[in-house]
Amino acid sequence: MRPTHSLVLIILFLLILDTALYAHVRFQQETVQRPAAHLNDIVTAGLGLTDLCLATEARYTRHPAVSDPIAPFMDHLGAMEHFPTGSFWAPPQD
Amino acid sequence: MSPAFEKHLNLLDYALSSLWRRKMKNLGIITVFAGVIFLVASFQILTSSLTSIAETMLAKTPEIVVQKMSAGRQESIPLSYLNRLDGVFGIRAAVPRIWGYYFDETSGANYTVMGVERNAMPEGQRLEMVIDGSYPDAEPGGAALGREVAANMNLAGRRTFSLFRPDLSLKTLRITGIFAESTNLLTGDLLVTSLDDARDLFAIPDNLATDLLVYVTNPNEISTIAKKIAARLPDTRVLTRPQILKTYKVVFGWRSGFASICLLAALAAFAILAWDKASGLSVEEKREIGILKVLGWQTTDILTLRYWESLTVAGLAFLIGCTAAYFHVLFLEGSLFRPVLLGWSVIHPSLKILPVFAAGDVLLIFTLSVLPYLAATVIPAWRCSTISPDAAVK
Repeated sequence: MRPTHSLVLIILFLLILDTALYAHVRFQQETVQRPAAHLNDIVTAGLGLTDLCLATEARYTRHPAVSDPIAPFMDHLGAMEHFPTGSFWAPPQD
Repeated sequence: MSPAFEKHLNLLDYALSSLWRRKMKNLGIITVFAGVIFLVASFQILTSSLTSIAETMLAKTPEIVVQKMSAGRQESIPLSYLNRLDGVFGIRAAVPRIWGYYFDETSGANYTVMGVERNAMPEGQRLEMVIDGSYPDAEPGGAALGREVAANMNLAGRRTFSLFRPDLSLKTLRITGIFAESTNLLTGDLLVTSLDDARDLFAIPDNLATDLLVYVTNPNEISTIAKKIAARLPDTRVLTRPQILKTYKVVFGWRSGFASICLLAALAAFAILAWDKASGLSVEEKREIGILKVLGWQTTDILTLRYWESLTVAGLAFLIGCTAAYFHVLFLEGSLFRPVLLGWSVIHPSLKILPVFAAGDVLLIFTLSVLPYLAATVIPAWRCSTISPDAAVK
């Protein structure tokens, strides 16, 4: 077998694996995510939710959409941002 | 088969044999490169997926939120402000809401406590569909909990629990229901009560609310009505649905945050390493090039050979890195980035998300990883291909 054939086989294996993973995600979207989508719409509209529940450590990371851009620095004069998620979340911009 | 294609196939064969002769070095490079691409791709897939989730889950967020500001901070808004909105044409409903944070000292967790008059809310009557139990407004003292809150309270079968009011007196609440697991990314830390119970818990006077939710008749007029509200209530901040949805695009944006900078620094470091490795030719490699030139190989042939070598290394590393990143987000819930994403959060829902990996993301990662590698190896490849054969063989 030529070395090129080995390379093609390796690339084919990886592409088939990627296709299988993608198909799995599409299947999950159709069978699990889409049927539950209307439940998320109900809870968002019914309670007036504005944010995802991801990082609950600080109010400006729990509700970035309704927090001030300078909220991390508002706790006291000369305050430094110290929550770990603050480094991951950029401030909202108008 | 055309002669040009046959030539490139033969060059690729030779390049692969050449890579295999130095397999320890090249496998090491592929492993490190794939690792760096894996980190960048994982971060990109995770942020793209969360942005997409935010867009779909928050599509029905309130059209306008009005918050009162004082000395640069948000404070409770007087209910009398509702009267000042009466004359704004196009407002369908304005609903006061009370919400805030409750810090549970025993576990160190933050809960989001929310009280809303559900009959005034769109879809309010259908809220029972997302609660395993009933909505807590049938009688005073009821509460519907998010799954993470219920798990964190460690209730062990109890149906009641107590929270402290600001004056440290206890308010007892009875659990009427638990939010459905499929809504966990929205309701995980929620503790929903009636408007009166939330007011009682936070000791907010009857004439105040936390914010006002405004719904308009024509969604195309959201920004116009928001401007009118801002003009009538100058001491308030008026947030619109498009602004709220845009927030998540910004907070998860590629350029945002410290993590992406760290990952780009790792890529830059790898490109420098690739340059260094490719430019430092061993005696054996120099002799090989010399022999090839003596046998009649042209400079362009050697350049093409080096190009195939680099493309094979970078292409394989790219495919392996991206596949591993997809797997990491899909099955391991992005566990490497969870500490950065969730920080010191005591309660947080599991990140069971379906990865979103658009063509734009693939192109971005390819541009940030494979192209710098090819660029970093092209000049060393040209330098080695221009070696004179007699100097190399000696």
